[in-house]
Amino acid sequence: MRSKVLLTLLAVLITVTVASVLIGALDYRSALADYEAYRRAAIAGGVQRIAPSPLQLLSLLRGAMEYVEIIGALIAIVLGYLSVTRERSSGTLPLLRTRPVSPRQLAAGNALGALGLIATLMGASMLIAVVSLGVIGHDWVDAAQLTKLALAYGASIAYLMTFYFLGVLTTTRSRNPANGLAGALVIWLVVVLILPQIGDTLDADNQVPGGLFAALGLGHAQEVSILTHFGAYERVRTSLEAASLSKHFERFAFAMTDVKDKYRGFTLGQLLTVTASSIAWMAVYLAALGTAALRVLRTHEVTTSGGI
Amino acid sequence: MIGVIARQQLLSLRRQQTFLAFLAVFLLMTALTGVIGWSSHRTIVQVYAAAVTVLAADGQPAPPDPFTSVPALSLLSNMTIYIPLIGALLALVLGHLAVADEQSTGIGRLVFSRPLSRTSYILGKLLGVGLALGAVMAAATIASLAALVVANGRVPSVPDVGRLVLFSVLSLGYLLLFALVGMLTTLLSRRRSVGLLAGVSVWLVVTFVLPQFTSGLRPTASLNPISDPVSSSLAFFQITARARPLSVSEIYKDVSAQILALGPGRPASTTLAAVVPVVAIVLALAALVAAAAHRHDYSRAGAA
Repeated sequence: MRSKVLLTLLAVLITVTVASVLIGALDYRSALADYEAYRRAAIAGGVQRIAPSPLQLLSLLRGAMEYVEIIGALIAIVLGYLSVTRERSSGTLPLLRTRPVSPRQLAAGNALGALGLIATLMGASMLIAVVSLGVIGHDWVDAAQLTKLALAYGASIAYLMTFYFLGVLTTTRSRNPANGLAGALVIWLVVVLILPQIGDTLDADNQVPGGLFAALGLGHAQEVSILTHFGAYERVRTSLEAASLSKHFERFAFAMTDVKDKYRGFTLGQLLTVTASSIAWMAVYLAALGTAALRVLRTHEVTTSGGI
Repeated sequence: MIGVIARQQLLSLRRQQTFLAFLAVFLLMTALTGVIGWSSHRTIVQVYAAAVTVLAADGQPAPPDPFTSVPALSLLSNMTIYIPLIGALLALVLGHLAVADEQSTGIGRLVFSRPLSRTSYILGKLLGVGLALGAVMAAATIASLAALVVANGRVPSVPDVGRLVLFSVLSLGYLLLFALVGMLTTLLSRRRSVGLLAGVSVWLVVTFVLPQFTSGLRPTASLNPISDPVSSSLAFFQITARARPLSVSEIYKDVSAQILALGPGRPASTTLAAVVPVVAIVLALAALVAAAAHRHDYSRAGAA
């Protein structure tokens, strides 16, 4: 936590998260006031059927989730890089190895320390989000929304830990730590930005601002009906997106935060069912990278050379 | 001596695995841009035709086809994303390596044991970086032309080639900006990794954070050449929009769209005026890099 760069990145993440929620909350407050005015007028006018509020409080956190997806992943990589290089440069690793601590315990300790830091960061982000929505947006999350939000931030912890393990892996296996960091950056670029971007570009619905199918006046059922004629194309597109851990995290987080219209009104059980494949993919990536990183940490040479 | 420094810079890049990895990703995506653009356009046209059939079956009139007149260079619209995304990172890494390598290997101490002025040294570095990025953009332009020929089945017209060349020049300027950022952050940092991460942080803020503050563009919306920003009627945006001339990534996307005729036309003078702040930022960064290089202590060995 003494690393200036890590602290700077953390400050950037927290600042943009707060700003993102602030912008959304201000807009939400305005829209909420409009809806309340409509509702009062409708009641006063004796209207029997009042339209439910179209506002989705948690969807205001879309920007915050996207920042976790992009900047959070980078922070986690830096954390993984630092956890390896700091020990090298300070020379504490040879000293630790003289103690009755097994390499397995050392590796697990590193990972647990990172987990604690990431969990604290995400917990703080969640608290800031909830308070911002309540104080600025004038609408507090209820128990059900809080549960979904907790699941979204829980997934973000798993997502960030995966990138932490990536940072550890590339740094440990590289002779020059800076090259290991750069290697992790290339992977981050491809997984977090390029693959999702290709998937989004190939998505027919993204070709017109506001959505192609909406512009054509088509509903979800009609959209699905049309897309069945483009099975091969959609399979290629979704395969590219499936290769990106970030896309799986995004799908789960957006489902939990009511960002996507198609999931609104779903119960928690239904949401978990439709996002089961994303949950599975995240678990697979976490397990694979975690196992590889812990194995490398246990077996990598004790050296006093190299460092941050 | 300037030429010697520049030549040495270019030759050393051949051994830089990090630079080569970023370069490979960038050139691959450039080559794929045309394929992606052609594939998505072909599918969209078919989706519209299928939508018309569905609507007709329901007895509803079909809305006008939004894709009847598509600009010839629209297949390259993704380049306006890949340049700020991959190209800028590539340039940043290049700028970082131009300075960091000599520091960490100790060659800087050897270089300045010769009768070499700081001014000649930094000019040589800037020339080397500029030539490297020029070569990258030339390769990207050739790849884009090839993609256009293959996707459209014909050679682009002379005006279209001119637009593509102009777009490449603009992109080169944008990449130079980030190369200078990479050099500056590395010169100002004691540790190599700190310099790289500081540069990446600047890139993150410029590419994702500034557009959200000034235009309400969400981070992932910045990755789509067709963006749908949130309503900017909020008082917040009426204030922050004044900083839009400093949001270089937005200016780049906007000017690129004008050059490639991807959006509604505007007078050339308006487009040129939009570029002025970016040019000013590049010149300011160059001056800062020169000043930092003059003050830098090349006698100390850099840490990784």
